[in-house]
Amino acid sequence: MEKKEKQEFLVGVFDNESKLISAIDTLRAKGLKIHDVYTPYPVHDLDVHLGFKRTRLARAAFLFGITGTTLAIIMQSYMLGFAWPMIIGGKDHIAVPDFVPVTFELTVLCASLGMVATFLISNGLGPGKKALMFDPRSTDDKYVMAIDLGKNSKFTKETIEKMLLDNGVSEQPKTKEV
Amino acid sequence: MGAHKTISLADEKMQYEFTAKLKSRLMMTLGIGVVMLILGIILLSLGFGETHHAAEHGKEAAKHSAEHGHHEYYWFKRVIANLWLNATFFNGIALIGVFFLAFNYVAHAGWSVIIKRVPETFGYFLPISMGSIIALFLLQIAMGDNYTLFHWTHAGITDPSSKNYDAIIAGKSGFLNVPFFFARMVIFFALWYGLFRRLRSFSLQEEEIKDFKAYLKNPVIYNKAVYTSAIFLVVFAVSESVISWDWLMSIDVHWFSTMYGWQNFASWFVSGLATITLTVILLKEQGYLKSVTKHHLHDLGKFMFAFSVFWSYVTFCQFLLIYYAHIPEETTYFNARLNLWDGYYKFLFFFNFFINFAFPLLVLMAKEAKRTTVILKVVAGAILMGHYLDFYLMIMPGTLGDNSGFGFVEIGCILIFASLFIYTIASNLAKAPMIAKNHPFIKESQNFNQFN
Amino acid sequence: MQMTSPVREPLVLRQIHDKNRKTTMHDVTNDICRQVEAAPNMRWMMALGISLIVLAYGSYTLYRTWFFGIGEWGLNKTVGWAWDITNFVWWVGIGHAGTLISAVLLLFRQKWRASINRSAEAMTIFAVLCAGSFILMHMGRPWLAHWALPLPNTYGSLWVNFNSPLVWDVFAISTYLTVSAVFWYVGLIPDLATIRERATNPISKFVYGLLSFGWDGSTRTWARYEMVALVLAGLSTPLVLSVHTIVSFDFATSVIPGWHTTIFPPYFVAGAIFSGFAMVLTLMLITRYVFKLEPYITLNHIESMNKIILVTGSIVGIAYITEFFIAWYSGVPYEQYAFINRMFGPYWWAYWSMMSCNVISPQFFWFKAMRRNIYATFALSIVVNIGMWFERFVIIVTSLHRDYLPSSWVMFWPTYVDVGDYLFSFGFFFTCFFLFAKFLPVINMAEVKTILASSDEDASVHYAEEEEHAKEKAH
Repeated sequence: MEKKEKQEFLVGVFDNESKLISAIDTLRAKGLKIHDVYTPYPVHDLDVHLGFKRTRLARAAFLFGITGTTLAIIMQSYMLGFAWPMIIGGKDHIAVPDFVPVTFELTVLCASLGMVATFLISNGLGPGKKALMFDPRSTDDKYVMAIDLGKNSKFTKETIEKMLLDNGVSEQPKTKEV
Repeated sequence: MGAHKTISLADEKMQYEFTAKLKSRLMMTLGIGVVMLILGIILLSLGFGETHHAAEHGKEAAKHSAEHGHHEYYWFKRVIANLWLNATFFNGIALIGVFFLAFNYVAHAGWSVIIKRVPETFGYFLPISMGSIIALFLLQIAMGDNYTLFHWTHAGITDPSSKNYDAIIAGKSGFLNVPFFFARMVIFFALWYGLFRRLRSFSLQEEEIKDFKAYLKNPVIYNKAVYTSAIFLVVFAVSESVISWDWLMSIDVHWFSTMYGWQNFASWFVSGLATITLTVILLKEQGYLKSVTKHHLHDLGKFMFAFSVFWSYVTFCQFLLIYYAHIPEETTYFNARLNLWDGYYKFLFFFNFFINFAFPLLVLMAKEAKRTTVILKVVAGAILMGHYLDFYLMIMPGTLGDNSGFGFVEIGCILIFASLFIYTIASNLAKAPMIAKNHPFIKESQNFNQFN
Repeated sequence: MQMTSPVREPLVLRQIHDKNRKTTMHDVTNDICRQVEAAPNMRWMMALGISLIVLAYGSYTLYRTWFFGIGEWGLNKTVGWAWDITNFVWWVGIGHAGTLISAVLLLFRQKWRASINRSAEAMTIFAVLCAGSFILMHMGRPWLAHWALPLPNTYGSLWVNFNSPLVWDVFAISTYLTVSAVFWYVGLIPDLATIRERATNPISKFVYGLLSFGWDGSTRTWARYEMVALVLAGLSTPLVLSVHTIVSFDFATSVIPGWHTTIFPPYFVAGAIFSGFAMVLTLMLITRYVFKLEPYITLNHIESMNKIILVTGSIVGIAYITEFFIAWYSGVPYEQYAFINRMFGPYWWAYWSMMSCNVISPQFFWFKAMRRNIYATFALSIVVNIGMWFERFVIIVTSLHRDYLPSSWVMFWPTYVDVGDYLFSFGFFFTCFFLFAKFLPVINMAEVKTILASSDEDASVHYAEEEEHAKEKAH
């Protein structure tokens, strides 16, 4: 992600999950747009509180899975049924029960790898990628809220700072330019 | 959302009311069942609804031509086989109710506490189902060789001088003999029912507790229930395998499979879970169990989904291994279900996999499906039907061959057992509060959220 | 917010090594990053050194196996499969606990898995690699290993035989290895980011930066991460069952008495979980002691694992009895002889070792005092794995060594190369495990932090005292 202009963020640090959640609810009710919240562990339903769209990764996994199933069935039927038909153990060329294990394994393999690849790509994760950290303590024990000042032009910086302080941040909010 | 509203126990309808309307409906269903059974018997004894094929008939005809009134032989066996099917199937559901209770105790499960009273009533059906099983078994023995479902009870089968002698069955007679079979049945029944009553009495004792806070510091009754549950699970593990061999596998007496007990367990377990789900939903719709949220239903849905897959796994593994090795002693079982009698059972065999595997798998895969009562009801119904069919496939080919069918007798038997089962559950639900309010995990269950 | 009954034991205890304070999230980070950041200590170096020596000796025998061929092993015409396949099945079995803990226990919402899943999964991956090494060993020509895959080739239209359980195995094991590794790594990323942010030395900052894939812990990332974990768990659960099922098919699809029995799939799976948990316990008890992780891996964790060992051990016991009973019930004389021969034939010692280690020894765990006793647990966890090795040996060797033709009845005895190749896998396994324990966080910090919020204060004190008590008794 290349950014041409510098964006200015206000960073609020919380030290408690419930304070964070109630702050999000209050701030959003007041019309403040929150850029994102960084947490040391998955806080459940945080995306719902922030009004983010639900992830559709499960659907992607299902589609990858049925692709795997189809591939496995076509591959086995083609190789043993058409390319070089042989009678093995007195069974049919295309012995359906015998194909079940490999079909199952390929379904799982495609679903898992496909989903994890989608996950990495959609989050922009990968070896060598640089993380944008507003506060390194968000990987330790703090909940860090970033507010994009450029997108909240109807509030002044001071108002937002005051709003954060009124809603339970544990320290004075800082400004960070990215 | 994170914090969903919790319904206070004070707002719950604690006393289940077994309405006169339901009572009369159940009595009526029972009556219809009996009438249908009798009608079916009359029709069968007159020769209607018999399906034996011409070719088969030709062979048999020579044998039976002298035998007068061989219709009687068929209808009687068909009635016995159907009663046996329903008795074992419903006995399984009743037993799974206790099993569900026991493994939830042992696992210290919190989520299921709120619905605990539902499976807790299932055990009360054990005397009825076991009574029928014992009576049916004795009846078969008393009626003689032509009427029994079990080939191994035939006279002279273990006697080398008899023309009935069968060396393989004689080899099994140390296990398959009437007194031992009967004794096992009675002992298992006593153990199941005794342990069930103990668990139920602990559950009712908990109701009497005055100081819940003090009880939480030292939940004596709960600990006792966990202990009893552990004993039940051991008894269950052994007895379940043995009764599967006894009641069902010994019908195809020459055949054997080490997986059989597992498959049977899976079939019973899924049916039991479907019955629990169905009962919970129906009670909720009548205004009981308000605290049951979609989170609880989601868990029940997951259980049905997972164990449908488990059933398919064990059933398929059993089939695959026998199909692959192709040893004649073992393939007979599947031969009867796939090829014999012009493929009489072939459709049912494949349909069994569809309704018990593909259908729950595809329908319950999505998260929302497991939280929607309509879908859960449809799937639970399909599972119950499907596993009835599974039992049908286990019992009928070995007993009736191509003389089985689906008519008045079958429907009548299902109606009789189902109405008795529902009657038992409903009358016992009314005997205790709907929610175990002093269970140590009750608060957890009320606030239960899938994702915490 | 979730409610937890006070009846439950807390999953994270107080800081018993530091003034008995309440454990905070920052403590979690410190306690677990400590051994990653500190210089390697003497004890660790010695342990790694011993593993490397064992690995070196194993590599020598492996060289002999490949250079001189399978004739270096004790196999013969009747027993064409013995130590190699025994070790293979044994390692695959051990490789079941990791994914079971992370997937099945996740689906069952067993939160205690949080502090053991990381190392259990690592152990899984190493164990599966060890298992795979025996396949390569037995191939004789490992550079042709890719022939096991359905690759287009110039030998006519020649494909692998999809009717063969050995080909199913190739797919099952490689899928399992891949998916477990991916599952494990996805879980590692957030913790690697934690280490990256703490790193002071530029090399570790660079390396952990590279490994942590640019993780920032934003809400969207976590939401997707949770979904990935859930779906992977849903996929891995049947996968874990399928792997040992397919391993059991290697035997059960045949017509050899003692091998061909339909209960094999679930019974192998139960046995795999049984041995896998035992191995996890062996390793975790050591790790817990060496890295001072008592607040995270508590007696409650050990007790829970012991309960699973008890359950699966009993399932295995019932399966033994079922097999034995049905062998008699079947009326097939070959089947009956196979089982009599197991018990009273020349390999009776293997059979009775298996019975006493697998069926009798876990029964001690019916007693709470035993389940919570660290020394008893440690001893039994090793006994269980010895028993499970014998189980595979009994199934494989006793069923083969006396076949239908009495003139070809023989015994199998291992050579030093057989033993050396087995040692190779041990050397490899422990080398990998020690490297993992030093350079990567052994406990999933993010998941433990999730639990911290809901652990109960008073109960925590009580159990920390019990922990202290257990320690005092040990001295």
